[in-house]
Amino acid sequence: MVKFFSLTGTYQHSWPTVTQAVWQKYPNPFASHVLSSDVIDRTVDPVTGVMTTTRLFLKSGHMPKWGRSLLNVRDAFIMEQSIVDPRSRRMITVTRNLSHTKLMLVEETQTYSQHPEHANWTEVHTDVRIISNTGWAPIKSRIEGFGVTKFKDNAIRSSKGLLHVLERLTQGARS
Amino acid sequence: MTSLSPDCNELKKQYDDCFNKWYANKFLQGDTTPECEDLFKLYRACIWRAIKEKNLDQLISDARKEKPFSGPEDTRTGET
Repeated sequence: MVKFFSLTGTYQHSWPTVTQAVWQKYPNPFASHVLSSDVIDRTVDPVTGVMTTTRLFLKSGHMPKWGRSLLNVRDAFIMEQSIVDPRSRRMITVTRNLSHTKLMLVEETQTYSQHPEHANWTEVHTDVRIISNTGWAPIKSRIEGFGVTKFKDNAIRSSKGLLHVLERLTQGARS
Repeated sequence: MTSLSPDCNELKKQYDDCFNKWYANKFLQGDTTPECEDLFKLYRACIWRAIKEKNLDQLISDARKEKPFSGPEDTRTGET
């Protein structure tokens, strides 16, 4: 069973600034659960100019009570693969958990592009896929439901974090 | 932001500082010639040591089998 979730948001900041903020997102006051962040691979295609990056994050996990008996999950490794195309002004990040994927795989794809009407704004489209492969149906739907609720909370917190970094970046540029 | 391994923190900081400047002043302006490669080599070697010590390399390569983009990076396993 797969659950999908998607949403579109706007940042009133230019595409170049938003992509800089994505790279400098951590630490921020809304991401105390992010314990580490590393770039583990990065290449720039000399022909197309497209940059491909893999990052690895360690995040502290919060399992609901009913989940704790299933699995002792404290911290989770998260991998983000991304491409940035400066010519078409598009950045795509694909983020997923690395461990416990059988219990629940959450894959989030975010596309950052220049806003179609306001050249100095950025539109962000988020698509999420939540898959649980555990065999027991009641637990499975509970896990996926938990994933969706958690995702909505996370999306708000994550967006607040990025805004915080955006403010810092643009204030830094002004001063 | 700290690295997964405390040993890599200093190398990460040096690389991040270089990258953030290059990204804003060169890459986004259309000059995509890399400039922080030497720093990245050192940092990357350090972080991949930590990844192997924590036995994460298999999880990473499994996750990479589902290629979200068809780029040259995804065909590498990072074991250099």
